[in-house]
Amino acid sequence: MFSDFDSTKIIKRRSFLVIIISVLFSIIIVSRLFFLQVLNGDLYKKKSKQNRISTKITPPMRGDIFDSDANLVAGTISTYSFIFYNYINKNYKEELIKFKNTIYPELDIEKFLSSIPKNNSYNYFFLKKNVSWAQIVKFETNKFLFSSIKIIETKKRHYPNKNFSQLIGYIAESDQSFNSFPVGIFHIEKYYNKLLKGSSGKILNEVNAYGKIIREISVVPPSKGSSIQLTINSKLQNFSQKLIPVNKKGSIVIMKVADGSILSLNSNPTFNSQNFEDRNSTEINSYFNDLSKPMLNRAFSGFYPPGSVFKTLPALLALEKNLINENTSFYCNGHTTIDGYSKKFHCWKKQGHGKVNLKKAIKESCDVFFFELAKLINIDDLSVLATEMGYNQKYSIGLSNEQKGLIPNKKWKKNKFNESWGKGDNLNTCIGQGFNQVSPLQLAVHYNSIIHGGIYPKPKIIKSHDAVFQGRKFNPVHQKFILEALNSVVNEYGGTANKLAREHPNYIKIAGKTGTSQVIRIKESERENNFYKEKVQIEKFKDHSVFVGYGPVANPKYIASIIIENGGSGSSVAAPLAHEALNYASKLNV
Amino acid sequence: MFKELKSLLSINWIYLLLILIIFWIGEVNLFSAANGSLDPWAKSQLIRFLIFLPVLFLITMIKPRIIFDLSEIFIFLIILGLISTLFFGYIGGGSRRWIRLGFFNLQISEFAKIFLVLYLSKYFHNLDLKGHLEINRSLIPLLLTFFIFLLIAVQPDLGTALIVLILGCSMIFFVGIRLIFPMLVSIAILLSSPLIWILLKPYQQNRIKTFLNPDLDPLGKGYHIIQSKIAIGSGGMRGNGFLGGSQSSLNFIPEKETDFVFSIFAEQFGFIGSLLLLILFFIMVIVPILKSIKIKNTYIKLVILGLSFKMLIEVFINVSMTLGVLPVVGVALPLMSYGGSSLLSNMIILGIIINFMSADKKIKYFR
Repeated sequence: MFSDFDSTKIIKRRSFLVIIISVLFSIIIVSRLFFLQVLNGDLYKKKSKQNRISTKITPPMRGDIFDSDANLVAGTISTYSFIFYNYINKNYKEELIKFKNTIYPELDIEKFLSSIPKNNSYNYFFLKKNVSWAQIVKFETNKFLFSSIKIIETKKRHYPNKNFSQLIGYIAESDQSFNSFPVGIFHIEKYYNKLLKGSSGKILNEVNAYGKIIREISVVPPSKGSSIQLTINSKLQNFSQKLIPVNKKGSIVIMKVADGSILSLNSNPTFNSQNFEDRNSTEINSYFNDLSKPMLNRAFSGFYPPGSVFKTLPALLALEKNLINENTSFYCNGHTTIDGYSKKFHCWKKQGHGKVNLKKAIKESCDVFFFELAKLINIDDLSVLATEMGYNQKYSIGLSNEQKGLIPNKKWKKNKFNESWGKGDNLNTCIGQGFNQVSPLQLAVHYNSIIHGGIYPKPKIIKSHDAVFQGRKFNPVHQKFILEALNSVVNEYGGTANKLAREHPNYIKIAGKTGTSQVIRIKESERENNFYKEKVQIEKFKDHSVFVGYGPVANPKYIASIIIENGGSGSSVAAPLAHEALNYASKLNV
Repeated sequence: MFKELKSLLSINWIYLLLILIIFWIGEVNLFSAANGSLDPWAKSQLIRFLIFLPVLFLITMIKPRIIFDLSEIFIFLIILGLISTLFFGYIGGGSRRWIRLGFFNLQISEFAKIFLVLYLSKYFHNLDLKGHLEINRSLIPLLLTFFIFLLIAVQPDLGTALIVLILGCSMIFFVGIRLIFPMLVSIAILLSSPLIWILLKPYQQNRIKTFLNPDLDPLGKGYHIIQSKIAIGSGGMRGNGFLGGSQSSLNFIPEKETDFVFSIFAEQFGFIGSLLLLILFFIMVIVPILKSIKIKNTYIKLVILGLSFKMLIEVFINVSMTLGVLPVVGVALPLMSYGGSSLLSNMIILGIIINFMSADKKIKYFR
């Protein structure tokens, strides 16, 4: 049928097909080339530049922190570190073994190598930070053995005074970016991180595919962070730290009356910032696991019912609201009752104080007087005055975990427990028990407010900050009356802290108020059979010992606020310590 | 054995000039790949070219009949060579691909492509077909192709093996198998692709995966594709200029002297330069095919068509791979990639093509 059919004709047809295929191929390639080079050329040019240019961030020097006398309390020192490159020598493992044998026997090679990211070929890794001199000398003499290991200088935070740890806090590497440098994690280091950190520098290098630097394109040097000077005086800080019994939890705040400068602020137990910088994991773990909470600064994060030191506040309120006058007196027979309540409210003095006026009530810390006074007071007014005098607020001075604390009002109780405010609540609140939660720092502010007549400086910890005044002016007559009563506590016979004046007549003359804050509620039945007396012998049920005082009495310059947890009575434990501290502050004349 | 000397005059000298130009572009490119140095690639490639050039001329002068007669011996020698490669081959890069010849490592598989085309052309020529190729008559070519494919695939060298497979099947297609069969085969391959996927080695699976999405492994398997695209793309319309490619000079492109020569060319000379280069390659492939159409001799027709097609798919696969259109398989760019075996085999091919292009168009059978 196809006699003249020739296979070359088919081949010819297929040849044309091949030509069509090659045209198709060309169209595919050219359109792809057009897409990459013409349409997306700029994008790929940018990517090529990113490939070519490596930006190295150079960390800045962190700013220093000084105490009030310009002693360094946090600085930066140079240390030396062994670093390791995994791309210089292919047989780096042999080098590491040699390194382990000659210089650094503690090295866990397998663990170290597994910590290195596989694809990150052009970076170095820290083999060991903070190398000792002996190791440096050993390394230098054996330098020829190692091509993958080098020594570089690194910066390290240095905290020369352990007693500042609770204020300064610490820093740690930030994990937010690859080119990270440390950021403040706690307290001043955290709060003032922006100021302290400085600004990083930049080095732009042209690099090849292996990360080798071909040439330097530009360098922007880092700038050191600003320095900060604290109001804390190292000598006073060290002195006060020693005052707190080693085995007791507690804190001391010493504040300057004039401008609210915190001169020392101690808490026990405490930690050492340097351990965080040195990555001493055993110590760091113990800080977080210790039930006595050494990371907690009790001076501003420790909240307690203040006990009797609080009484000056309801006293002032009653005077300002004309609920009582200077001469109003109540009779104390050791307890009082409220109509409709079976429960008795007891004075600390079982046999009673007899006839008591306001001054005597403060001087001898009569509870019944304040129970009677509490019956007259509107708790919401008390809460408002407390806020004006520094309670229910944070001062935000740059310390972590600062909280507001609480002097309650009716609304709070309703919200919290869905219960209405009872008369008994009034009574407990006015003697500084009940729901009250205050920090030693707030107590110091409360007394500073009295000394200033109502408008007082907020506490501050940065020396260069101006004093910020707040509060509402009291009637000067009432203020004077309260100050006189506080003077009588220490300097008149029968005052709860009169012992101080007698034991150390040569010390600075101070005034103040003792407080004994109950940790447990004593049941009526226990009170009768004296069982509670045995119970309070157990350490954790012992009362907190509280004292707030100031001196010199004639012209107050310093306030001390002390709480010793489970310390016992305020007069026996906290008051003498406050006297010591105020006396020392006055001697230093800071 | 050889043609008369005056037949040199009938050589397509313009075509030869085209080859020289492409090679010279390749030389310049290798020079730039070494950041403006003759070492290590440009110089030794030039020396090879100068050694191989007489071979090319010699081949152009051989009477087609001689090549025709020797086709079976050649394919026998190639199969022998491939088998001995498997046993005595020199191992490089994890596969056994080369035979050591003292001064030169010969990659037999490169030559298998040529001689498979020559043998199949002769086989079909001798069938003296008067119509479509019957399926039973494609059995021997298929088996032979598959055998050679296997010999190369186990080295392992999937890129070359696939080209052999494509070439063998294409020859059967060129000679006129009914279109229904390749369609059926395509459907069969599509259906069996899950099975093929299972049979692939994990690294081959990864190559396909990273081809489909290079960002899966930007520093590992996808690195080649990503960096090559960056290089080509950053060339833009006009290119970064001779020796101006940072992707190349800073070594961001791996295998820039072999598989990825096109990337560094495109980075330096941009869209315009790349287009011109592709036009040269297009001419190199199309001219012989157009010539072959007029030739009556089935053997000569098929040889030119097959060998041109071999270069076409190599150019296409290589360039597509650098552009991220096809997965990375080790296929060299003819005349431009550094490497002796590839250069020699392509010069042999071009020698044969130049020779056969000047053949007497009207003579159907060898006398």
